[in-house]
Amino acid sequence: MADILQQMQKDLYSGNVDEVKAATQKALDEGMQAQDILSGGLIAGMDEVGKDFKAGELFIPEVLLSARAMHAGLAVLRPLLAESGAPSLGKMVVGTVTGDLHDIGKNLVGMMLEGAGFEIIDLGTDVSPAQFVEAVRAEGADFVGMSALLTTTMPSMKDTIDALTEAGLRDKVTVLVGGAPVTAGFAKDIGADAYAPDAASAVDTARAFMA
Amino acid sequence: MEPKTLRPIIKYLSDSQTEEIHEGSLEILEETGIKVELEEGLTVLDKAGAKVDYQAGRAWIPRQMVADCLELLPREFTYAGRNPEKDCLIKPGGRLYSRTAGSPDFIIDIDTDEWRPVMVDDVKNIYTLMDALDGISICTAAFAQDWPKLGRDILMLREMLSHTDKHIHLRTDTVETFPHMLEMAVIVAGGKEELKKRPIVSLLEGHISPLRYIDVMVNALLMCGEYGIPLEVCCMPMAGSTGPVTMVGNLQLLNTEFLGGVVISQSAHPGAPLVYAPRPMLMDLKTGFSLAGSIDGEMAAVAGVDMARFYNVPVSVHGQWSDSVLDDGQSILEHTYTALMGALSGANILVGAGSLQETLSISFAQLVMDHEINQICFRATEGFMVDKERLAVEAIKRVGPASNFLADEHSVKFCRGERYTPEMFYRGSVEGWEESGRKTYRERAKDKARAILAEHEAKSLPEDTSKALDEYVAYAFKAIEK
Repeated sequence: MADILQQMQKDLYSGNVDEVKAATQKALDEGMQAQDILSGGLIAGMDEVGKDFKAGELFIPEVLLSARAMHAGLAVLRPLLAESGAPSLGKMVVGTVTGDLHDIGKNLVGMMLEGAGFEIIDLGTDVSPAQFVEAVRAEGADFVGMSALLTTTMPSMKDTIDALTEAGLRDKVTVLVGGAPVTAGFAKDIGADAYAPDAASAVDTARAFMA
Repeated sequence: MEPKTLRPIIKYLSDSQTEEIHEGSLEILEETGIKVELEEGLTVLDKAGAKVDYQAGRAWIPRQMVADCLELLPREFTYAGRNPEKDCLIKPGGRLYSRTAGSPDFIIDIDTDEWRPVMVDDVKNIYTLMDALDGISICTAAFAQDWPKLGRDILMLREMLSHTDKHIHLRTDTVETFPHMLEMAVIVAGGKEELKKRPIVSLLEGHISPLRYIDVMVNALLMCGEYGIPLEVCCMPMAGSTGPVTMVGNLQLLNTEFLGGVVISQSAHPGAPLVYAPRPMLMDLKTGFSLAGSIDGEMAAVAGVDMARFYNVPVSVHGQWSDSVLDDGQSILEHTYTALMGALSGANILVGAGSLQETLSISFAQLVMDHEINQICFRATEGFMVDKERLAVEAIKRVGPASNFLADEHSVKFCRGERYTPEMFYRGSVEGWEESGRKTYRERAKDKARAILAEHEAKSLPEDTSKALDEYVAYAFKAIEK
């Protein structure tokens, strides 16, 4: 049992998607609990990845390959986790705000969060406050993550927060904002819950809120 | 014998490498094509012979179309100043010009060193400095964060016109506001034809890599062509995220994207003036940040200039870039090597003066220091005179062994005009430095900025032009608010 999980961690670190997926299924077939496979195999593996990434030993493309392996394993476990009533690792609606078409930062954060076990609903770019609200309502999201590259589009972040309040959803979600011209001061002024200067701290911040 | 030393050019790409990159671009444009997010762009391409899918917003460009459009590009044109003495003639092998980076959202306060948003007073000061500094040939847009978001580009142009008679290089935010900015330029130029003959404004605009031509970009390609103002086609893939992680792969994509822009522009307006603006960026593989100041990035940019020279088109290159969050030793170092390499690449326009944190921030001190770096770069491209008299064979024979040239007639004749004198370098003794206040280079740059801001007055607009512009701005705001 322990061997399967040890190997799963190694394969996850190396980004071996198929091996991780197969090992997840094998562990289930051999009677392991989904929650134990998740924490002992997938999350433990990603924690190693996270450690080495923070130390500057692993690069983003390598981390994302591991995240893909994590995602593949998690896809196998998700229905069982839901059935057993296990707590969700987090669900986030992400988007680049109205009038802004830049998405690489948002994409990177989304992928890194998936690597941490989050479920990401990506609304794309030029996302209106109404679209954010609708997605939160429909998906029962824990988080809203908003991104902007242009100072001219940053006001939409406040509009979205206001729209969430109006819809009675503001206290049901944690609002996280980011983007090159966005600052911690701005996030505070508009009533966001958190600001992250880069993808890795976005993951840390989101995980901290889930804890 | 040539009267001057050769113009040094740094070249990274061999002829066959250049050919390979060009071929790769043709293949990608033909087989994968581009995304075009403005219907007018698709129509233009369709009419000109591209394969188009209107539903998907995609176009595939046959290689012959690329070849034909490259032929149509003008090889030289002028970035005109409201004052003709400040014109910048952009042509193959022409002298190097410089322009400031666009556009900072934050500023390092000159007095407190605090990092804060750029406000209207800052913007006026930025424009004043750009107008006063000889090391800045072209002034690029800067926006105030306390301007209204919609229409701030219109306000920017109105304000700039009052502060400088150098060529104004624009930024625009929306498809709705840009036409108004062009009409303002028409007013100042004295007519649409006059603007075309002497474009006193230019624009830089970019698509989103990879290969995604967003509405503002397509609109810019079409409208700049219509009005005859130069457009810098900004190609800015980030190696590892929006572009391939390899240096040459990122360049391959960048070059492809330039050609895509050329085809859209020339299909609509044959002969529209375009400038190749290669801006290869790097995603920091450890943080995800966009990196500006690396030696790798600058090498790739210079290789981009190699491609521009292969196509024989005008090119603007960075130039000063830094990832530093303030104007310190790192920013000065990064700015120096990026500027020098950019200057020696053979480009027409050296971009970046004033920029920090890529171009997120500006400082007056950095702007002044970059004016000096630019002057040094101009000098580096100029070389020095070589003629019989300057070779000094006669003088050397006359002075002979074991004597000196201090008071020789040759020294007297040539002691002026042979070299560049930096304004802010300290070259004296330690004692002299202590007596004059122990100032650092950065502090001397700040002093110069303060002096300029206290004294400099730009050449004002004629009163009737001012009035016409103000009326137009009011009209434009009513129009865009609908």
